Amino acid sequence: MGAGYKQNSQIMKSILITFDQAYQHRIIDALDKFNCRGFTYFEQVQGRGTNTGDPHYGSHAWPSMCSAIISIVEDHRVKPILDHLRYMDEATPMLGLRAFVWNIEDGM
Amino acid sequence: MSLYESAVKRPIMTALVFVAIAILGLFSLTKLPIDLYPDIETNTIMVMTAYPGASAEDIETNLTRPLENALNAVEDLKHMSSQSKENISLITLEFEYGNDIDDLTNDVRDKLDMVESALPDAAENPIIFKFSTDMMPIVILSVQADESMPALYKILDDAVATPLARVDGVGSVSISGAPKREIQVYVDPNKLEAYNLTVEAISGIIGAENMNMPGGSFDIGSDTYALRVEGEFTDASQMNNLVVGHYNGQTIYLKDVARVNDSIEERAQEAYNEGVQGAMIVIQKQSGANSVQISDAVVASIPELQKNLPKDVKLGVIVDTSDNIRNTINSLFETILYAILFVTIVVFIFLGRWRATMIVVITIPLSLIAAFIYLLIADSSLNIISLSALTIAIGMVVDDAIVVLENVTTHIERGSDPKQAAVHGTNEVAISVIASTLTLICVFFPLTMIEGMTGVLFKELGWMVTIIMIVSTTIALTLTPMLCSQMLRLHKRRNKLFLRCYEPISRGLDAFDRFYGRLLSWATSHRKSMVTICVLFFVGSIGLTRFIGSEFMPVSDNSRVTATLEMPIGTRTELTRALSMDIQSRWRELFPEITKISFTVGQADTDNTFASLNTNGSYVANFNIRLCDPDERDRNLTEICDLMRKDLAENYPELKKAQVNLGGGGGGMGGQTTVDFEIYGYDFTTSDTIASYLSSKLRNIKGCTEVRISRGDYLPEYQVDFDREKLALYGLNLSTASMYLRNRINGSTASLYREDGDEYDIKVMYAPEFRTSIADIENILIYNNQGKAVRVKDVGRVVERFNPPTIERKDRSRINTVTAIVSGAPMNEVVAAAQKEIDLMDMPAGFNIELAGSYEDQQDSFRDLSMLMVLIILLVYVVMAAQFESLKYPFLIMLSIPFALSGIIIALAATGGTLNMMSMMGGIMLIGIVVKNGIVLIDYISLNRERGMSIRRAVILGGESRLRPVIMTTLTTILGMMPMAINHGEGSEMWRPMAWAVIGGLTVSTVLTLLLIPTLYCTVAGAEVKGKRKKLHKQMQLKADLGLK
Repeated sequence: MGAGYKQNSQIMKSILITFDQAYQHRIIDALDKFNCRGFTYFEQVQGRGTNTGDPHYGSHAWPSMCSAIISIVEDHRVKPILDHLRYMDEATPMLGLRAFVWNIEDGM
Repeated sequence: MSLYESAVKRPIMTALVFVAIAILGLFSLTKLPIDLYPDIETNTIMVMTAYPGASAEDIETNLTRPLENALNAVEDLKHMSSQSKENISLITLEFEYGNDIDDLTNDVRDKLDMVESALPDAAENPIIFKFSTDMMPIVILSVQADESMPALYKILDDAVATPLARVDGVGSVSISGAPKREIQVYVDPNKLEAYNLTVEAISGIIGAENMNMPGGSFDIGSDTYALRVEGEFTDASQMNNLVVGHYNGQTIYLKDVARVNDSIEERAQEAYNEGVQGAMIVIQKQSGANSVQISDAVVASIPELQKNLPKDVKLGVIVDTSDNIRNTINSLFETILYAILFVTIVVFIFLGRWRATMIVVITIPLSLIAAFIYLLIADSSLNIISLSALTIAIGMVVDDAIVVLENVTTHIERGSDPKQAAVHGTNEVAISVIASTLTLICVFFPLTMIEGMTGVLFKELGWMVTIIMIVSTTIALTLTPMLCSQMLRLHKRRNKLFLRCYEPISRGLDAFDRFYGRLLSWATSHRKSMVTICVLFFVGSIGLTRFIGSEFMPVSDNSRVTATLEMPIGTRTELTRALSMDIQSRWRELFPEITKISFTVGQADTDNTFASLNTNGSYVANFNIRLCDPDERDRNLTEICDLMRKDLAENYPELKKAQVNLGGGGGGMGGQTTVDFEIYGYDFTTSDTIASYLSSKLRNIKGCTEVRISRGDYLPEYQVDFDREKLALYGLNLSTASMYLRNRINGSTASLYREDGDEYDIKVMYAPEFRTSIADIENILIYNNQGKAVRVKDVGRVVERFNPPTIERKDRSRINTVTAIVSGAPMNEVVAAAQKEIDLMDMPAGFNIELAGSYEDQQDSFRDLSMLMVLIILLVYVVMAAQFESLKYPFLIMLSIPFALSGIIIALAATGGTLNMMSMMGGIMLIGIVVKNGIVLIDYISLNRERGMSIRRAVILGGESRLRPVIMTTLTTILGMMPMAINHGEGSEMWRPMAWAVIGGLTVSTVLTLLLIPTLYCTVAGAEVKGKRKKLHKQMQLKADLGLK
């Protein structure tokens, strides 16, 4: 299949961003800033960090919750977005912002 | 979208909704009337039945008893008491509070209709009237007069009473002490006898001569004229020249046999203000009208009225009940402002940030103002109860906002955007905020369901606090997050000066945290000693109860004293007056606190409603004393009253009865505590003996300052026993004979003298010097139809007899009440001592003694409140169990309640307070407040455990991190109450015990909650874990056993 799914002859990558709910606006602002129009937003997801970070369970003990966004973007946009997210994470490490990138095999 | 989310997203809407509430609240505030207490519904109905000519005992058998039997069937009747005296039966029905008095009146009327046919024919129809606190005078004006004295009644009636009666809301205005004008024709019986004249003849002649007669009309020429005879006297002296008869060809004028006095009535009540004779004007309000407004209007109109009076007549105010109301309300308002200030300071010290402090503190005025809207809708007023509710609430309304603010701040510090932080931060704590408000509502809402006298006080408090709590929670969930999102910033630049000032505070707080951490870790590792210390402390504090007395209501110091002094029955007014003058000048010296003193002596006129409600008579003096404001004197009202009583008892042996009423004796609340010993039994002599024995014993008990017996003495009187046969012999009958007596002694009203549109009686009677001895009565001449005269002594005998006093009954049996005023010792001790005496007494068959008065009220209310307390504790437990989904931990939290009790006891013992309605109220409130601390603590500890910490670590870390919120909310409540506890303004006696109870209870229980509850948590949770392990172990064992087989 070669380099995978293409749109307008651009190779597309998927970015999964998970973050504390309180980041929601800033993440969407960031996507806008890098011209990524399309995304899928999961408002409430649970999770915890591998090494550090409070669990986000929405329970009595861990009341906070995460959200997640999956956005399929052109390859060349991935790096600036990740850079920007890394900058945000360094500024506020407590919010547990994480992003992961996959190849897209196919799409419609 | 949740409530807080929309609030944060629409800041303008949120802000304006609360601005609108504030405006509505302030508008309501301007409309609210001021009063001392919430509206107390009337619960008393009187039935008055006249039966002319019947003696007290006849009235009792023929009237009072059948009526009582019928009325006993009326529903909700609490007590029925009656007075049977000559000519009249008075039945007072006292109902349970909270019933519609109009329905009850209808019931009473129905029952009366049923029994009416069974009443004696000569008895008049029973009259029903509702008695209420409205009958109490709201303003009493003093009048001093000099040369205008003889005409004072007319002057005051025209220039003062009539204009005042026109003031909106004024019910009746009565003038006491100003005698009415009367024209007396004093005849000399010897001259009458000499000229063969009688009083009746003279009075007939005067009536016939004092006449205006229209003579019809007649025509002269073309005109018609009216014909009239104008014979009415235009001056009293004209009467002197009336021709009353002829004797031996000589004309006899009235002046030959009598003297005409244009004077004032003989027997009238006299009023003295500051020793100067004058009058008193008593103003009562219409029922339901507002006292403060009326008295304002009345007092404001005095200068205007003064202008229309002669120079020597001076008006003054002796009693203005609204003074006390206004001062009390003002000092409460002051208390509220101080409370707000203290709470603000505490919040600032703990938060260390201006903006955060502002966000929290804005909750106070908003939720308090919202409560005014409720007051207006509920048709209530600004009174002691509603304003106390505000003060109580001040410390509590900030709690929710603080919890929300803290959590939002945590989020912002983690790096969230303030808007998101506000939404999510609020979301996380919303449930626990609502749950803690619910526990408080569980405490205050049941208060709205109490009935009776207690209900009047507590109902409004319950509603007010419930509403304020709901409003404050709403604010915490909407306005607080909105303000947080707008005002809080992550990186604040801090003023260096501010940092320097705040640094020591913050270091101190940190040190305190560490200290508490160490203490807690000691406590959790020495659990047994910790529990023992607490139990010992509790038991020790219970031991202190010996030093705390109980009473019904704290005595409130309204700077008023009234006293009723009775000389032996029949003492002449002149003697009573002289004695009163003496007492007045003596008290002026002994009590420099007295600012105004006035008294009335003598028989009151029957058409003066107020005066005739009080005891009056020639031998009675009624004192009205006003003291300076409580903060301007060292001795309080109780001490002064006790000294007055002592002075009367020691220095005035001639007084038969002396009654000093603290606070003016108005209404059931705030007066001095009384214990009534009701002696039930039929026989007069026996119950009198018991009463006098009991009262002599009571006088020796410490704390009984005044003991009085309700049944009066037998009234001495002269009766004329006519011999009917002799009367018949002379052609007379009893009614003619007694009419002759009446006309000579009481006088016969011959006619009316008219002047300036007013009418005055012209009375013909024996001159005073001819009615001073029994011989004078015996020598009265009675004429028969033939004009033949006979002396009274020839047809009858004048004898001295004793008239039985009023027969009092309560709940359908005869009663004689011994009332003791308790002062200087707690009521329960006095009652215990008295009970011991009563037990020693050898009670005759058919007699028994029951306790009533404030003691009965106290017992009733304490029983109600104790029931309520149980209910409240159960409800609070339910809410907590639901929140924690556990039955064990709420029970742990409840353990802080006994220590609240210890705290109350210690505080009351230390401040010399007593257990009364107000301190009980403080105790009830404490249930909700103290468990709140426990909830915060346990909640966080179990959160830590859910996060995977070991029990001890969870407890110590949880304790350390929750220390500040607990201390902060506790301090806001304590400091909110502090101004109430230390305020010495007027009326502060009422709420001081409550404030001290809350302060003491909360302090002790918080300190112990912070140590004992974590300790117990360790034990309980440890046992739980051990149990689980055992179970697991058993299962493993079972598995292993099975495996082996």
